[in-house]
Amino acid sequence: MTTGNSGSPISRYTKDRKVGEGTYAVVYLGKQVNNDRKIAIKEIKTGLFKDGLDMSAIREVKYLQELHHINVIELIDVFTAHNTNNLNLVLEFLPGDLEVLIKNTSVVFKPSDIKSWLLMTLRGIHHCHRNFILHRDLKPNNLLLSPTGELKIADFGLARAMGNPNEDLTSNVVTRWYRAPELLFGAKHYVEAVDMWSIGIIFAELMLRTPYLPGKDDLDQVDVTFRALGTPTEQNWPNVSNLPLYNALKVYPPPSRQELRNRFSAATDTALNLLCSLTELNPGKRCTSTQALLHEYFTESPAPTLPSELPKNDVAGGDSDDDEPENKRRKV
Amino acid sequence: MIEDDRSKDMCPICKTDRYLSPNMVFLINPECYHKICESCVDRIFSLGPAPCPYPKCGKILRKNKFKRQVFDDLVIEREIDIRKRVNSIYNKTEEDFESLESFNSYLEDVENIVFNLTNNVDVEQTTKDLNKYEEEHKIEILEKNMRESQKNADFVKYQESIAQLKHEKMRIQQQMELEDLEYQRQQKQVLLDKLASNPGGSSEELIAQSNSNILKRSSLRKRQFQQLTNQLDQRIQTSNPFKRGRSSESDEVGSSTPFTPFKGDRDLNKRYTLLDTGKTDADVSTGTYHDPYVSGLAKNKEFLGAGWRLELVFERALDEAFMGMGCFIDKEKELKAEVKLEGGDGISV
Repeated sequence: MTTGNSGSPISRYTKDRKVGEGTYAVVYLGKQVNNDRKIAIKEIKTGLFKDGLDMSAIREVKYLQELHHINVIELIDVFTAHNTNNLNLVLEFLPGDLEVLIKNTSVVFKPSDIKSWLLMTLRGIHHCHRNFILHRDLKPNNLLLSPTGELKIADFGLARAMGNPNEDLTSNVVTRWYRAPELLFGAKHYVEAVDMWSIGIIFAELMLRTPYLPGKDDLDQVDVTFRALGTPTEQNWPNVSNLPLYNALKVYPPPSRQELRNRFSAATDTALNLLCSLTELNPGKRCTSTQALLHEYFTESPAPTLPSELPKNDVAGGDSDDDEPENKRRKV
Repeated sequence: MIEDDRSKDMCPICKTDRYLSPNMVFLINPECYHKICESCVDRIFSLGPAPCPYPKCGKILRKNKFKRQVFDDLVIEREIDIRKRVNSIYNKTEEDFESLESFNSYLEDVENIVFNLTNNVDVEQTTKDLNKYEEEHKIEILEKNMRESQKNADFVKYQESIAQLKHEKMRIQQQMELEDLEYQRQQKQVLLDKLASNPGGSSEELIAQSNSNILKRSSLRKRQFQQLTNQLDQRIQTSNPFKRGRSSESDEVGSSTPFTPFKGDRDLNKRYTLLDTGKTDADVSTGTYHDPYVSGLAKNKEFLGAGWRLELVFERALDEAFMGMGCFIDKEKELKAEVKLEGGDGISV
């Protein structure tokens, strides 16, 4: 492809290598021609849907265009090539994600590393919530890591803005294991608290190095969640029984502090406090991103690790183009 | 291979097999490193020093020198033994030297000796030197040993006290939890009794009262517990010789890079104050804002159960109304352009 700063969008980027393909899109690795910056191009397949474009692509473009934050993935450009009519999203290239790192047992997480990742996630989500955007699909797999160690929230395919108060929202969002209890009950008017729950579960997963609440199916998820955290009642969560799917629950007692301490043996008391307030069953009492960031967990020693010093999975060769294929971006 | 494995599990003296007596233990002696099972050692050496029963070995061994093998590889086992012995003689640490260089050359000397002894190079000369050094520095070595053991004892004491503190805290908390449960049960019983004794009275009032009782007590208990743990913490702080230096150090590090939770991404300067939201339709007095439609939604229990709040709607409307005030896009663009020119890498700022 030819160089040139201005000119048609395609000549500003190169598509070097295909790194992944999903139902809705193909992901290529490429470069921004004028500064050699690595990028990922997500080419959305058109013609698959009778209504035109895939909803998640529209959502991704819509919200990423608005959000600019160090802990949110950057949408550099959007273009369509005249010959194919496909929609192309140019995103910054991020070689790793948190899920791979959690699964890689040869990497040891220090408490300060976990703190740093949680801090960056909270900063990113705080920026979204500040702009009244719900992410609705937070999971380790969607928290990507830049070569400098910065964590970036990605995949805004399920994101949406807080609607009008009377609008219904679908409760069928968020990957099952990270789904908040109000969503399990089929709530249609949830708020930012659903994202905070997911972050709480991710926090637990970072400490345990294994998924915290792995439900086998939607019903099992309810059981697993309440076995770990207690069944909500009208006392600790007023009006819960008015949610559509709240019925015939097996009643589990809430876990005692000691049980939690045994489960998270490496966590300090402050860390447990934060975890408890993030995984508070009642969404009205669950802590917000602002409250979480102001929590004393972050000021307590040890200080969060600097992003550049965080553990990485594989040291992706700086200039060489032969990154591991497993390092490809997430499924699309 | 199979042959090898079997010989590994069999005592070459009495031919006892691990397969038949799974409890058998092999011992070795650092004189010759020949493997002998425990019962053989008891049998042969209990009457005093005797020669090694291995053919063509014949070294005189003593029972008290026999020990369990730690490393599978006998070469490593032997090197560790030698290292232990040499280090007990050459036991200086870095603080005994004026410069790093002299300490390093000392370490190199030690390594040389260990290497010679393990690889059988100049063994006689080296042992002679080693013995000579030991003779000459006897008092120094002893002194150093005393100091080190004192240090170790201090550290062990410190660790013990920390563990004790943790244990104590846990015990108190557990006890409190138990007591709380008992108290709640009692309250429930009292409430039931009360309800039973006056069937005409309003039951809801009584329930509310007992709930508030429980709440009051639990917050009191929390404070009590906090106080107790603080006391314990303080006690350990004052008695601990190590912590002091460290804590002041970490303070210095902390103050040099202040922690900013939001990194500036927070709107502290809200340009409005939220008025009271009128709770009922009738409550449209001054100082409140009442929107009949949204307030109507606030009565919907399904909305409330999902975490929806009336205030959130108003806050959002106001935030959005004032968002971007005080931002000058032209100015920011200029700034951005400047940075781009300086940096030249074009990564957005």
